[in-house]
Amino acid sequence: MKKLIYTFIAFVSLSSCLRLDDNLFNQNKLSEYKLDNYTGEVDFILPNTYDIPSNLIHTFQLHSQSPSEASSTTIYAIYIGDIATIATDTVIMYCHGNKDHMDFYWPRAKLLANTVSKNHYGVLMIDYRGYGMSEGKPTEDGLYADVDAAIKWLSLSGLTNDRLMIYGFSLGTAPATKISANNNYSMKPSKLMLEAPFASAEVMVQDQTGLALPGTTVTDLKINNGEEIKKVQQPFLWIHGEADDFININTHGVVVYNNYNGSYKEGHRIANAGHSTIETTLGFQEYLQIIGNFIRR
Amino acid sequence: MYQKILIAFLSALIFSCGPSKFVKPLEKNQHAGTVSLGGPLIKYGNATTPIPFFTGTYGYGIDSTLTGFASLNITSALYGNLQMELGATKQLLKQQHFLPAFSFSPVINFIYHDSKSYKVYPQLDLNAFWEYGKHKNYIYVGVNNWFELASKKAYGISQENHWFVSPMIGHSFNNAKWNINIEAKIIAPNLSNEKLVVDYQTPLKHRGAFGLYLSYTRKF
Repeated sequence: MKKLIYTFIAFVSLSSCLRLDDNLFNQNKLSEYKLDNYTGEVDFILPNTYDIPSNLIHTFQLHSQSPSEASSTTIYAIYIGDIATIATDTVIMYCHGNKDHMDFYWPRAKLLANTVSKNHYGVLMIDYRGYGMSEGKPTEDGLYADVDAAIKWLSLSGLTNDRLMIYGFSLGTAPATKISANNNYSMKPSKLMLEAPFASAEVMVQDQTGLALPGTTVTDLKINNGEEIKKVQQPFLWIHGEADDFININTHGVVVYNNYNGSYKEGHRIANAGHSTIETTLGFQEYLQIIGNFIRR
Repeated sequence: MYQKILIAFLSALIFSCGPSKFVKPLEKNQHAGTVSLGGPLIKYGNATTPIPFFTGTYGYGIDSTLTGFASLNITSALYGNLQMELGATKQLLKQQHFLPAFSFSPVINFIYHDSKSYKVYPQLDLNAFWEYGKHKNYIYVGVNNWFELASKKAYGISQENHWFVSPMIGHSFNNAKWNINIEAKIIAPNLSNEKLVVDYQTPLKHRGAFGLYLSYTRKF
């Protein structure tokens, strides 16, 4: 019996190394970016009227390093716009979701580049480490470091805080909120836009189990937009599909929206829209009108 | 596709994860060790597959109508949790011709990750079983009941569901030294599964989940 008890204790002690965290990142690798020529699955296809001239599409590398890392990781970025005029333009930093890579999110980035009018704003998008052609392996700290590397590049290109807007979709709402909430990043965006934000990893666990279960029983992720948003003072736009079956609007989105205590907020609950269908449910122009009105107000 | 299999795994890790333990009590002073595999059916790609759950159970016949048991969720342990069930099965009624025997199993199911992350869930299984043949194989039906006692979830969100009921049916093939058990369970048919990422495959379509389990018990 003693042997059984010792074996049991040893097993439990030694077996605590598995976590779901690494597996929850849903990245896919690419050997090249195809953008308009990408033939894989995308959430929607834009009409030709939203096309971006090739001279306004710039693919390049950045070097990202979180405070706890000894060396940098090479990640990939795409800038839509004229790099030479960043010093005078308004730029949207687009933080994409958990799935796939920049080819998958290319229509979304193109759409944002057409806010207000054709190619009106610059849009910067990156593949987080481990996604697309970016090197390394996704981590929570890596998300923040990678977006920080991107806004550092914008800063070096002449952008100032007042002309930096940050937009997060789904997983991308974590770095967008974190960077808006804290002062220890290369820039501080002047406005925050969150599409389908999640409140925290714990709410995700509780939604899926139906139980009031501590999130740490399955994940070490500390992502907590519900708390971070309390520190955000910049104007805030929230947009969420009422039929979102991945990130529930009431347990996630409403919590984030209600916890915001800053200078201005507006919320848009989109009837019949799912997690990835806000743009198509609303219609591209109506979606862009919401974004444009918020940026220009 | 989101990481559905992993989230399904996460969901099933905790809740209604295993089959019934000791529907029929052991003989007095008899020991038994059981390993069980199985879980809710989900759609993964084009296939329907049970989420693989692995539990180990030890039971002891306190007397011929009362068996105490302790069960370890091995899959949960791999994720750093000590998740155990401690309970007892008490037989109240003997079988009389076609009238089944009846037993019930109060269980404390607890999960402990660290001093800030732990939960206790009471559970009550109600079972009816019919023995037949010289090996005393038996078929059983029952209801597994899980109870969530918390009134609030994260951010003060109201915990709406406090009773998770799961009807089950199973069959036990018996020998003097071992049992092989198969069980099917409708997990939480009182709850909608429509707002979940996981595609649960169940005859009730938009309600709950459907679990299949296989167990092997060695008696000694």
